[in-house]
Amino acid sequence: MSGFTAVVGTTDIAILLYFLILNSFYALLLILSIPEIWEQTRLAEDEDFQRLMQSDALPPITILVPAYNESATIEASVTAILTLEYRNYEVVVVNDGSRDDTMEQLRHAFDLYEIPRVYPETIATKPLRALYRSRSRSRLLVLDKENGGKADSLNAAINASRFPLVIAVDADTLIEPDALLRLTRPFLLGRDIAAVGGTVRVANSCTVKDGRVTDARVSSRPLPGIQVIEYLRAFLFGRLGWNRLGGNLIVSGAFGLFRKEYVAAIGGYHTSSIVEDLDLVVRLHRYLRHHKIRYEMPFIPDPVAWTEVPESMKILARQRERWHRGLIAAMWEYKSMLFNPRYGRIGFLAMPFYTFGEMLAPVVEVLGYVVTVLGLAFGIVNVSFALLFILVAWGYGMLLSIWAVVLEEVSFRRYRRFGDLFRLLLFAALENFGYRQCTVWWRLKAFGSVWRRKHVWGDMVRKGFATPS
Amino acid sequence: MTARQFLIVVALVQGVLLGALIVLIILNRWFRLRRSARLNPRRQAIDASMRRWAAGATPLAGVLVGLARLPVPLAIDALVSWSARVPGERWRQLAVALEQHWWARIVRSNSGSARWWKRLECARFLSVAAMPRDAPRLVRLINDSHPAVHVAAVASLERIENSSLTLAALERLPRLPPTVQAYYAAMLRRSRPVVIQHLQKRLRRNDDPALARIAEFAGRLGEPALRERLTTLADHPDPEVRVQSARALGGFPHRESVAALTRLVADSAWATRAQAARSLGMIADVTTLPLVRAALRDPVWWVRLRAALALIRFAAAGRKALLDAEVGADADARAMATLILGLPAQALAEFGT
Repeated sequence: MSGFTAVVGTTDIAILLYFLILNSFYALLLILSIPEIWEQTRLAEDEDFQRLMQSDALPPITILVPAYNESATIEASVTAILTLEYRNYEVVVVNDGSRDDTMEQLRHAFDLYEIPRVYPETIATKPLRALYRSRSRSRLLVLDKENGGKADSLNAAINASRFPLVIAVDADTLIEPDALLRLTRPFLLGRDIAAVGGTVRVANSCTVKDGRVTDARVSSRPLPGIQVIEYLRAFLFGRLGWNRLGGNLIVSGAFGLFRKEYVAAIGGYHTSSIVEDLDLVVRLHRYLRHHKIRYEMPFIPDPVAWTEVPESMKILARQRERWHRGLIAAMWEYKSMLFNPRYGRIGFLAMPFYTFGEMLAPVVEVLGYVVTVLGLAFGIVNVSFALLFILVAWGYGMLLSIWAVVLEEVSFRRYRRFGDLFRLLLFAALENFGYRQCTVWWRLKAFGSVWRRKHVWGDMVRKGFATPS
Repeated sequence: MTARQFLIVVALVQGVLLGALIVLIILNRWFRLRRSARLNPRRQAIDASMRRWAAGATPLAGVLVGLARLPVPLAIDALVSWSARVPGERWRQLAVALEQHWWARIVRSNSGSARWWKRLECARFLSVAAMPRDAPRLVRLINDSHPAVHVAAVASLERIENSSLTLAALERLPRLPPTVQAYYAAMLRRSRPVVIQHLQKRLRRNDDPALARIAEFAGRLGEPALRERLTTLADHPDPEVRVQSARALGGFPHRESVAALTRLVADSAWATRAQAARSLGMIADVTTLPLVRAALRDPVWWVRLRAALALIRFAAAGRKALLDAEVGADADARAMATLILGLPAQALAEFGT
């Protein structure tokens, strides 16, 4: 019994220590996000966008739009993208062998005509069936190719793109009209930018007119409502904090601007990766550090894209499990970067944080619950102490969520109604009761999936990219 | 302190912080609502008085009073947004009048502030309301280390002509990333005489590491006075400089340009050959047609593409050359000719042919 007590006691202390270090790091991110959001808000407000829009300084951008079975929404989404406030951009839509009539919809809506291919295949992709230009929209290029997954479609679009900056946009993502303009701010401010990430917000319950979010609302349903908080937390304080630490490891695949020469140099998106954006960014860091190229990958909060989040537990579970599986796969694949001085802050800060603080967090949390239950059952842990600990842990989570709401309120205030503000605070409090435990369980299941499907990893990913609208 | 006591303290601190954050959120909302209720009428008032003054319906005094009633950042926003809508002479009256105003004097004094946002405020203000005596301030701001500050300050070149300012911007231009360079170049176009004089000198410095960027900028200006210097650069040892020379010469249909491009189209660097082929297409001198036709057999795909697109610009003769290549012996030239001849007019327009 004394051996068991010692094991439980030691595990308990180890878990406490783990959470102490992790939470201290979160506190650091929280503190660092304050000057960062202050600076970003100031820059966003002070800029004379009209003047910049009239100048020829704006870098030309290619928008990459992979589409698979998007028949119902493709016309509206492409039309919305084609009417963005930006001077010099092109849109490359890739029909990834859709089984529905996505291609027909595009052909009909934009009066497409076939053209021969006039560019080399820099990144190998599945065969192209045909290329089309539009008689009505000169900015539009449509590629029709055999099904190869989202990453393969993005690679095909990169091959066809003419401009030095590329941005991947999901066909079901709504970009704010001035978002591209804002996203190029770091390039105008003259830094060595390799990639820039913008904010992704939750579109559920918002009023959407002509492919634009005209009224931002917080859903009254708990599942999408809590995800609003999650997105605010991830973008407004997580990534802003990482800006100051120089190690943003995620530039959202739904809304991130990349320098094409670097993306092409690393061979584009990996078709075998589960979460292609994380994989791409880690490889970009590796490549740029390897070649001693000066670079930055900032996140800027004011360019906004809206996306629909899952409203059912089943789809949400699948999404979170997939995200975590992608994280595990990426951390495992690039483990040589961990604590490797060659990769500087990425090797010593970002990779350890994502490995130990994000990837292993569900394991440690579940272990904590198990040890606490065992400790209580065998009288090793005091009941009131355990409850107090859980209260503190949850309170801290709530504090971080409410801090994200504070950052939103003092900066961009997209949710103008008091009702929305109230819901944000309510969901920030409710998140810890049930929802958080569910996400821990889904993320834990990802370890099981990785373990079980270890030998058929490639096969599974090649066929399983689809994100129907 | 025991672990339990520590947790109790942490829980209490958390509770207090949570409460404070919620109060902060509510106070922030309340404060912003009050502020916008107070400032909105003033903003509308300044817009109305600016409109009346721009139309000559009211004297300037009303505008000055309205601006003084706004917080400084909002007053600067109003100035920046109205600066493009008010005719130059009238706007100069406002700039002169603002020189005496207390808040404008404070903003001006911030040009040397240790805080970047204060300097940014000053740069934005001076970009629309600078007077000749602000030139030293603006030079300092153009040389500022914060990118937002010097980008805002360089916009002042749109309004005031001053050789020291122009030279400061020109000196900085080659060290900037391409995007910001393009912005600087757009601003510098207004000070053409000073810029051209300076460029004529800079383009003579063969060992200047920034020569390629200077040549690129000079090419964008399309100024005939620079043609001779740009032609000389066609023989520069740096391939990047030769690329820029080839690009610029396409804008000068001159015997010497054609001679230089004739050399460049056979350059050892493929980027130079591609650019030279393109420029030969822009000039479309029939005597160079055989050279462009030969470039269609170049080992590099991009040179072949540029050559084929250039041939389109030679009208009937170029089209015939492409049709010949389509059934010719060289497989690469055949493939490229087939691709380009298959492109409809819209797609060719996209390539800028």
